[in-house]
Amino acid sequence: MAPASQYELAQPPSDSVTAVAYAPQSPTRLLASSWDKHVYLYDTHNGSEDAQGTLLNTFQHRAPVLDVCFGATDNVAYSACLDWQVYRIDLETGEKTSVVKHGAPVRCVVHSPQHSLLISASWDQSLQIHNTREPSTPNITIPLPGKPHALAASPSKLVVAMTARLVHIFDLTSLPSLFGSPNPAEVKPWQQRESSLKFLTRAVSCMPNDAGYATSSIEGRVAVEWFEDSAESQARKYAFKCHRQAAPADENGGGGDIVYPVNSLVFHPVYGTFASAGGDGTVALWDAEAKRRMKQYQKFPDNVAALAFSADGKYLAIGVCPGFETGVEDYSGEGKTKIFIRELGDGEAKGKGAK
Amino acid sequence: MGKKKRSYPDIEEVLSRPWCYYCERDFEDLKLLISHQKAKHFKCDRCGRRLNTAGGLSVHMNQVHKEALNQVENALPNRQGLDVEIFGMEGIPQETLEQHRTRIVQNFYQAQEDRRIATGNPQPGQAKPPRKKVKMETPEELKKRLAEHKAKVAAAKAAGVSGSPVAGAAPLSVSPGAINNSPYPPPQVPYGTAPTDQQFPAAAAAAAGVAVPPGAQPYTQQPYPAGGYPGYPATAAASLPTRTPGSVEPASGLPQRPSYGNGAAGGAVGDEIDQLIRMAESGVRPARKPEEGEGAATEKKSKKGGRMVYSDDNVSPEERIAQLSRYAWVPPVS
Repeated sequence: MAPASQYELAQPPSDSVTAVAYAPQSPTRLLASSWDKHVYLYDTHNGSEDAQGTLLNTFQHRAPVLDVCFGATDNVAYSACLDWQVYRIDLETGEKTSVVKHGAPVRCVVHSPQHSLLISASWDQSLQIHNTREPSTPNITIPLPGKPHALAASPSKLVVAMTARLVHIFDLTSLPSLFGSPNPAEVKPWQQRESSLKFLTRAVSCMPNDAGYATSSIEGRVAVEWFEDSAESQARKYAFKCHRQAAPADENGGGGDIVYPVNSLVFHPVYGTFASAGGDGTVALWDAEAKRRMKQYQKFPDNVAALAFSADGKYLAIGVCPGFETGVEDYSGEGKTKIFIRELGDGEAKGKGAK
Repeated sequence: MGKKKRSYPDIEEVLSRPWCYYCERDFEDLKLLISHQKAKHFKCDRCGRRLNTAGGLSVHMNQVHKEALNQVENALPNRQGLDVEIFGMEGIPQETLEQHRTRIVQNFYQAQEDRRIATGNPQPGQAKPPRKKVKMETPEELKKRLAEHKAKVAAAKAAGVSGSPVAGAAPLSVSPGAINNSPYPPPQVPYGTAPTDQQFPAAAAAAAGVAVPPGAQPYTQQPYPAGGYPGYPATAAASLPTRTPGSVEPASGLPQRPSYGNGAAGGAVGDEIDQLIRMAESGVRPARKPEEGEGAATEKKSKKGGRMVYSDDNVSPEERIAQLSRYAWVPPVS
């Protein structure tokens, strides 16, 4: 029997998931990072009928892991840890080495396979660029004007979203040459923008065709904009509301929506459409070109915190854990964290206007 | 149909619109509803085939794709079930039908009320909104004003105009005409074409000889523009130099005056109507506009500010969670 179009991974992380990431080659190799101080490695397709997916390994850290990504191969991962460091994990041997040291917890980590760069963003208000080809080269530190909250790389650009609605875009192509240069601290952003969204940026994702990026905010909104600094390109940018629920109507005629944060955005690697995940427990597929919602998946049991498309675009991993409705004062995702794998149908993520 | 001319449909029309059980959207006709359901709720996400019912889709998924359909797509949270077989308007449970009806009726009247507040117009067949009842006074108030007026007139005319004290002493039913017209009755007598004016020609005529100032004479010769009172007060004021502001005011307090509604009204009445019109034009509308704007603004604000699940614009949820003791990491003291 063909696999059901969506299933839940067995042995999910014991606490809330912070990120999920698919391997660059295999479409069934998935990493998940968690507040429970571990990184999990799954094979999403093995397993029995009632316990789908196999937990291949876990990698313990000293502190919660806020982000994880694959390196150049399916056997290398990088994790951003609350203990101020970025680790390189050899997924075969389980060997864990610190490659970047920040002055505060590391929020995001992104690998750029095109340039063999590992970029990490930390709450110490800096980026560090690590040369994965020659790990012994000293890292480049780029100071930032605000705390970074989201980071994404396209083939040639790096987008950093910070507090105070700051967005800096760096040109990745120019970075490798700076390794070993005497004064690398003077790296200037290629573009500085103000976020199109009025509220704190929550997620950033770049279009695979290198044309632009999307950002989302805590206030149920997503903006799509383009890198090119021409008037026409900038005029194309737009934003829209999503991940809201009409509040139950009261005597005053209801009024207003419950507005959820949009926790994650991912572009489809093949079709250039993108998925958004919200605190309302839904995942929606959007066609950035046609400005249409193509699909909204059935509600998940809880806040959707993380998303990832597999490299071939056939699978979507969905990390579900408690949201922030009850406040974050006694936050815990224990026992309520799940990872779903959705197999996309042919053309399910194919936009009408895009291709 | 005459009904169609109205910009807002009436309640029967709203209630007769077919609507979709799954998403509560309503449609112009049943055909549209069915095509909506096929496209939005009964479409196979694997092959795009549009089925007629959820049951049909379930069978299709089972047979063609070997998959189970768990819920209806794009449906409201409590309407996703496959247990009810819906086709167009058929199959909707009675209870749901009633809920929908209640909701529509409620919304309809709410919208009507909102429109009424927004435009300041009364509903067809309903009384004017209270705001417009400027002239409504209780008999007590009326009497009080009358007394005030009497005092005023008495003071003003004490210097030799004879009519006022007499008129002031007259019974209430007669006094309005007598008082108000005593200074300027002649314009009303000759041109008092309104039948109601006949009530007091005697009093007016009697007063005319005594009270009319010489300045009013040319005014009485003036041809009355039929119903042209908006432009009238200016002429009246110009031609009646002795008129005191005090005599204008009480006129407004006497709505029962017979000549009120027609164009033959006196200068004082013209002023008053004019004022009413001006109020209607300038006073009422601007009062409404800001209200509308504010209403929309505050509504938006409450939507944005009041209901955000996470609203801290400076500190991300992760930063907050990282502070909790169970997650926090304390760097080892080196």
